[in-house]
Amino acid sequence: MTPETLAPAKVAAPRPSHQKRRARAAETRAGYGFLTPWLIGFFLLTVGPMAASLYLSFTDYDLFGAPEFIGLENYQNLFDDPRFRQSVVVTVTYVVIGTPIKLAASLAVAMLLNAKRKGLGFYRSAFYAPSLIAASVSVAIVWKAMFIDDGIVDQVLSLFGIRLGGWVGNPDMTMPMFVLLAVWAFGAPMVIFLAGLKQVPQELYEAAEMDGAGKTRKFINITLPMLSPVIFFNLLMETIGAFQIFGSAFIISGGTGGPAGSTLFYTLYLYIRGFTDFKMGYASAMAWLLVIVVGIITVIFFRTSRSWVHYAGDSK
Amino acid sequence: MTRRTIRFAAVGAALALGLTACGGGGDEGDDGATGGGGTVDPDEEITLTVTWWGNDDRADRYNQAIELFNEEYPNITINPNFSAWPDYWTARATEAAGSALPDVMQMDLAYISQFGSRGQLLDLDPYIGGELDVSGMPESLLAAGQLEAGTVGIPQSTNTLALFYNPAVVTQLGIEPPANDLTWDDYDAWITQAAEAGAGLDPVLYGSGDYTGVFWLFIQHLVQEGNEVFTADGEIAFTEDDMKEWLNRTTDLRADGSLFPTERTVQLAPLGGFTVNEVASEFSWDNFLAGYLADSGAESIEMLPMPLGSSGERGMFQKPSMLLSAGSNTEHPEAAAAFIDFITNDPAVGAIFGTSRGVPATESARSELSAEGTDAQVIAYEESVADDITESVPTLPEGFGSIEATWLRLAEELGYGQITVDEFVEQWFAEAESALA
Repeated sequence: MTPETLAPAKVAAPRPSHQKRRARAAETRAGYGFLTPWLIGFFLLTVGPMAASLYLSFTDYDLFGAPEFIGLENYQNLFDDPRFRQSVVVTVTYVVIGTPIKLAASLAVAMLLNAKRKGLGFYRSAFYAPSLIAASVSVAIVWKAMFIDDGIVDQVLSLFGIRLGGWVGNPDMTMPMFVLLAVWAFGAPMVIFLAGLKQVPQELYEAAEMDGAGKTRKFINITLPMLSPVIFFNLLMETIGAFQIFGSAFIISGGTGGPAGSTLFYTLYLYIRGFTDFKMGYASAMAWLLVIVVGIITVIFFRTSRSWVHYAGDSK
Repeated sequence: MTRRTIRFAAVGAALALGLTACGGGGDEGDDGATGGGGTVDPDEEITLTVTWWGNDDRADRYNQAIELFNEEYPNITINPNFSAWPDYWTARATEAAGSALPDVMQMDLAYISQFGSRGQLLDLDPYIGGELDVSGMPESLLAAGQLEAGTVGIPQSTNTLALFYNPAVVTQLGIEPPANDLTWDDYDAWITQAAEAGAGLDPVLYGSGDYTGVFWLFIQHLVQEGNEVFTADGEIAFTEDDMKEWLNRTTDLRADGSLFPTERTVQLAPLGGFTVNEVASEFSWDNFLAGYLADSGAESIEMLPMPLGSSGERGMFQKPSMLLSAGSNTEHPEAAAAFIDFITNDPAVGAIFGTSRGVPATESARSELSAEGTDAQVIAYEESVADDITESVPTLPEGFGSIEATWLRLAEELGYGQITVDEFVEQWFAEAESALA
């Protein structure tokens, strides 16, 4: 910085000059100008439809005629609907079982890939690859083919004397199948864990080693606390993501949530209500209930996080 | 990573949630009234979108038919489009919400009142006698596409239920095929016999799947017993006991595993036990013959009429099917009418489709059907049961598609033993009440 630029600041003391304010206003305008494409998209494609769905959730709307205002009836009906309850049970089971397993798996792989080895770049890409395609239609189809009667999974398990038959047709086995699919796509949280691991100062480990700490102790007392913001972030993201599972369930069950309702995930039931049964008002009510519940869960996560998440920058 | 960035990301992810449900605007269409009933101007360049449900085979046939249409109407360009049954209705419903239905679309009895009674479908009455000739079609058949709003669909064919059996599988089982004059009880006994014979084979063979899970068969049974199915104002006319009696027909068969297992059916979809040659017989509409032969690779498949009802009558009916409708938002109603006319009446088009959509609805469309093979077998079947077709198809209420889907879903749960017959009946009525409301 040159003395020239410093000088006016000294003179202009607390209030910025008229000119400067004008310059700043121009900058603000330019800023919004550059934001416009995004803002247009945000209002047209996100806020607008959300407002519409909020309105529709208070109506009886079958897509063909005009929506008819019915107040809270959709929301009340939700609680008398056995399929709604089933979809909640299926989804919560998936979130509660799937998310921790996925996080544990991605952390484990991230720690392996954090070691100093030859060809690490290759391994990192290789392990990330499944995540790029896991949400695709083709993987859901492959998954179904793998877990069907006499599919590859059935055949391999049979070699070990485990005879389960096809998982796809067995209501008790569909959930493990979906959890496996989620865990297989561990790439995104893994990369974030890996970045977090890189930032843990080596001195901490060295100091701990001097004090005679073993591997487990270092993991529990250094790695986990230092990683806690990253764990928190991944936990939040993966939980919200797990509530939204749709594509794979839609493809594997052929859009029905079967067999016997065992894959009737929340969003899938929402879709069935809206687009198969033409109860768009009901579906909108479901969507808003989901937004509210996920919002509440997020708030709870943030509240409890104060007691277990350690931010390196905070002076706590 | 700071608390702020996490909070930001969480809000973003939560917002993405809100996108899961968003209906279109509440556009109300314009009552379908186009009036006039003009004719196609041969010098005007017109583009029509045409859509149907079905497989590749049907798409090939439609494309051939469209080529013929273009020879006669070179100024009309057709944009064809097709999808599978469930996706088809999802897409049409979304289009209806935005008043953007295709110019011409295949329509089914299960959905016609849903679309037609809200002004989404074009009233074709002004074009009848002009661009649209329906003189070759019986009045009773034409009535299937007529609502208060007018003629909103032109039936392309009729279907009749049949009992199909695969002689090769019956031979493998080493039993006699089902007899021509079966009662329902006889058929159940035959299923037991088949399952006993097939239990030791690899793969295990069966006589049938759980036929009570087919809603149309229940309707057929009600009609055959002289019961009303739906009232004139679209309410359910049968009782919970009627339904229990029907579903309990196969309770014993379900219990001793004499029916093709549900978990196999689920995994084979979209094929089924019958088309992978592990089940000897199956009820379905008679236009399924071609598809059955193609999917199963069987050398021949035989067709029998419905089992006898308690009065000794079969009480069968013909279901008008594969209607063609025009969207009320079409800009070229006369061209849409001309296209529907061509597909309905042209003898060459009739020969292209054969009986793959059912037996063609008009005399002229039937005139060039091949005298042998699949088409001839289906026609011969319909002729053989002509005396048994004594009833007319029940009028289907708005929301029929949804209650039929519920039936299918509950049948699957019943097959897995997750619900009892009584729970099936209770849940179905609860859902039907809200679907038909």
